Amino acid sequence: MTDISQSPALAPGGGRTMERVRLLLRSRSGLTGLIISFLLAVLSLVSAFGLLPFDPLAQDPPSRLQPPSGVHWFGTDQFGRDVFSRVAAGVANSALISVVAVAFATVVGTVCGLIAGFYRGISDGAITAVTNVLFAFPPLLLALSLASVFERNWFTIAVAIAIVYVPIFIRVTRGPVLSLREVEYVKAAKSTGQSRMATMFRHVLPNITSIIIVQVTLSLSWAVLTEASLSFLGLGTPPPAPSLGSMIFEARTLVTIAPWTMIAPGVIVVLLVVGLNLLGDGLRDSLDPRNRGKR
Amino acid sequence: MSTARRASFGALTATGVALALVITGCSAPASDPKPAEGAAGGDLVIGVTSDPDTLFPWKATQFQAVNVLQNLYGTLTEFDEELNVVPGLAESWDVSDDGLTVTFHLREGVTFADGSTFGSEDVKYSLDAIAAEATAAVARSSLASVTAVEATDENTVTLTLSAPDAALPANLAVINMAMLSSDDTEEGLNTTPNGTGPFLLDSRKASQSITLAKNEDYWGDTALLDTVEFRVIPDESSIVSAMQSGNVQLAVFDDPLVAQTVEGANVEVATTPQLSYHALQLNATRGDLADVNVRLAIQCAIDRQEVLDTAALGEGEVTGPITSPAYKSDPDARPCPERDLDKAADYLKKAGKEDGVTIKTIVSQGEYATSVNEAQNLKAQLADASITLELEVLESGAFVDRWIAADFDAAVALNGGRPDPDGMYGRYFTSTGNLNKVAGYSSPELDALFAEGRQTADPDKRKDIYAQVSENLEDNAAWIWLFTSYTYTATASTVDGFVPMANGSLQYLRTTSIK
Amino acid sequence: MFRQLLGNSVLRRILAAFGTLLGVAIFVFLMLRAIPGDQISSGLGTEAAALTPAQRAALESYYGLDQPLFVQFFSWLGNIFTGNLGFSARAQTSVLDLTAAALPVTFELAIFSIVIALAIGIPLGMLSASKPDSVRDGFGQVVGLAGLSIPAFLLGTALLAILASSFGFNPNGQGYATLFENPLLNLQQMLLPSIVLGFGIAAPIMRTTRTAVLEIRSNDFIRTAKAKGVPPRRLQVRHVLGNALVPIVTMTGLQFGYLLGGAVVVEQIFSLPGIGRQVLLGIQQKEYALVQSTVLVIALAFVIVNLLTDLLYRVIDPRVRAA
Repeated sequence: MTDISQSPALAPGGGRTMERVRLLLRSRSGLTGLIISFLLAVLSLVSAFGLLPFDPLAQDPPSRLQPPSGVHWFGTDQFGRDVFSRVAAGVANSALISVVAVAFATVVGTVCGLIAGFYRGISDGAITAVTNVLFAFPPLLLALSLASVFERNWFTIAVAIAIVYVPIFIRVTRGPVLSLREVEYVKAAKSTGQSRMATMFRHVLPNITSIIIVQVTLSLSWAVLTEASLSFLGLGTPPPAPSLGSMIFEARTLVTIAPWTMIAPGVIVVLLVVGLNLLGDGLRDSLDPRNRGKR
Repeated sequence: MSTARRASFGALTATGVALALVITGCSAPASDPKPAEGAAGGDLVIGVTSDPDTLFPWKATQFQAVNVLQNLYGTLTEFDEELNVVPGLAESWDVSDDGLTVTFHLREGVTFADGSTFGSEDVKYSLDAIAAEATAAVARSSLASVTAVEATDENTVTLTLSAPDAALPANLAVINMAMLSSDDTEEGLNTTPNGTGPFLLDSRKASQSITLAKNEDYWGDTALLDTVEFRVIPDESSIVSAMQSGNVQLAVFDDPLVAQTVEGANVEVATTPQLSYHALQLNATRGDLADVNVRLAIQCAIDRQEVLDTAALGEGEVTGPITSPAYKSDPDARPCPERDLDKAADYLKKAGKEDGVTIKTIVSQGEYATSVNEAQNLKAQLADASITLELEVLESGAFVDRWIAADFDAAVALNGGRPDPDGMYGRYFTSTGNLNKVAGYSSPELDALFAEGRQTADPDKRKDIYAQVSENLEDNAAWIWLFTSYTYTATASTVDGFVPMANGSLQYLRTTSIK
Repeated sequence: MFRQLLGNSVLRRILAAFGTLLGVAIFVFLMLRAIPGDQISSGLGTEAAALTPAQRAALESYYGLDQPLFVQFFSWLGNIFTGNLGFSARAQTSVLDLTAAALPVTFELAIFSIVIALAIGIPLGMLSASKPDSVRDGFGQVVGLAGLSIPAFLLGTALLAILASSFGFNPNGQGYATLFENPLLNLQQMLLPSIVLGFGIAAPIMRTTRTAVLEIRSNDFIRTAKAKGVPPRRLQVRHVLGNALVPIVTMTGLQFGYLLGGAVVVEQIFSLPGIGRQVLLGIQQKEYALVQSTVLVIALAFVIVNLLTDLLYRVIDPRVRAA
């Protein structure tokens, strides 16, 4: 983890951001990750705006189980649905759920982590207790039970996944905040009478931003995998909305007669996770102050 | 050697060990060797996705539980492969002229698994207990017309009825009507089954397998197999793999694609039409659906074959209400045998709803393969007639809760069928039926027809009566009956003598042999 | 030395652990009851609609659902302290027996997976670190990335489908055999699932190894040792790896938690009767006591592993011991 006392600036400056972006673009993994994530994001938007070649839900039994062709780029599935459109819609679905889940977890987790680390006392005790309880659950089992409580749609699944990942954000922010409290300028701010909340947001938060950013990308890839695993178990995105996990589940019986029905969603889900992981790696390298001046 | 290379060497050794394990796995025999001659003997492994959730016959509704229990327990009457009612534990029965007294002549020399003899006091005990509310027996309503059960002598039981009930013999053939020993308790039976069936419980590993062994003292022909193991393999495609590798010799699938994949060099697949039916249930007590014209508009706006083709890949048959072969409804005996959008518009106009209606529809997910696809296709078709289906896709627990409470306008459902039409629909479409709330429709005419059907013993006359019931249901569009689908029974080529049944029963394991 | 090892903080950790477990108990108790449906509707399905009120009351009393929530919670919790984890009506076995049978399966799977992950991860990590930013490094990173990104359910499904249909290799198609009943069959049944899971967690271990090795190698005391002429192999193992063990051990401990939960999917695909499947089945069948007690057992196992990892820390790293 980055050593906070080494970061000299009190607030993020424009110059540093540009340098970080340049570092990111120069690192091979970061660049690759950025490109992959960008391409898949474009695919999601294409799907969201309804610009896909076929309706992902439209069934066309006469053209079932056709191999990839000029018309159906990834072939068709057992109901004649266009696999490419379904995969694109699946990516959009995964993206939506992951982004919402991670956004929720980031906001709630960071705020709780800040409060716990900064204010200490009872709030710290309570937040840490809840974090420990949530951590004691195996993540997938927790997500699947939470997802079963309410009527299942993309939002409730996102919330379920978010609740599973909130503890990580709390833990990741609380530590650095604890050390930051003791740093000179923070103590100085307190002595000048600045409210604790203002200090928290103005001085402490910017310095843990890089950690949060890295955690966000990592959590995005975990969220994608979790949603896919839930859908595979039949407990994720309810049909007919396509999900990469449920597509792989349905393709199990078809893999010998129509392998493209499993290869397409399989490759795409791996690509999505790889892209996010590489991006996270690149970000971590570029945001690590020790790497400044290297490469 | 550098550490990295040392580690690689270690990894190579590990790979070698793993390979050795794999190779031994390939050459290990898949199952025990069979006896060389004769049809008797052998062990059969059936692949199932879950194990029974209860071993108590009076409360068993899950089909895994029913399948196992059917082979352990006996009933007074049974079904043959054509679903005719044939003698079971009762060798014969007489019905008095006024239909109010039914006398069962029990088979002699029948014993339970624990060796105790089966007799009339066991029958009286069983029937009384099923009828008692405290038992919470599922089949209680089948005995609604029975006022008294008397064990007249060792091998005779006399039932006194409040009204003639021609459906009684058929209703007694289901496993929920199993005859239990008067000495047994529910707790005891849950661990140690004690039945009169062709098999005994051999061993059980919770969530892994349940093994039955043949009952040498069975009153009928002794089963040919030595043991039958129901092996739990939660994933259907893993069952397919297990059949292909010879570990499993019999499995039943609902998904035509799975059946296609498993069929191969040494696996045969038999297709059997089922009694269960897919339907769009309508709740005629709610909102717009109370008007028969709205319901008829829905009927006319749906092409059932299209639903079957898109959702189930055409694997099935369009159907009317009654699916049992002896009383089968004519699927075209309804106001709109084909899709007719003009007629649909007319009906809506008659109902004063030219602009269309919105129907809140619940759909289950994960229970059976085609539910959501059916719902989607229905929605698309009805949209053409300005009828909007608002779909709520629910997980099975939530769906069952809503279904039980009849908290829906419409429901896309797959309901079980029974050989006797009264058993099948009596509970739903009579005003006093215990499922009438869920059915959402009843009428004095139907009440009268059902009563008549119960009172008439003559099979031809009954056929006529239930044809009228069917027509009445379709003319009033109580529900929209869609189609029946198939069941696919996959058997290894070494398996002989298994007969799949339209009600999904595995009772012909007693005549199955393995080479 | 014992006092040195344990100290106040560990005692506090144990107390905190108890608090956590209580929190887990309350959380899972409430969450289960928030899920629609109960044991009656899950057992009878749509037939439950045909129950008369008296029949339903009889069933509720049979399943213990008619008592107020408080009573249900405290009687369950109280029973746990006497060793009665509840009873599964479906399996007709006590939850204790079910768990005692299922836990070793998942445990064995976890151990084998970790062994495979270490066997893949550590050598790869050291390979990558031996020459950073080279082809070797790239290779190691790619393998690690693949492990992280390929979902366990995809890898497991694909492997099983290919091996079973093309090579007839499917030991998991036979009934599960415990290590004592049939060691050879058991190992065969554990082979594919452990590979699938182990591959997934090899990546974090590889990365941790790589980072730790790189960091340590640039440390002064290593350069000193090298200058003093310590043979390279001893350098690698004793000094480098020895110091890298701390983060590796932490990472391994963390993965254990993931394994307990992630094993659910692998247990489904390969029909292993483990603890993950037990919880899943319990949730589907709405067997409350089963899920509550099993989740509590898993949480306990997790807490113990964390405590042990901490203790291991203090043994390995003298700096921590002094703290």
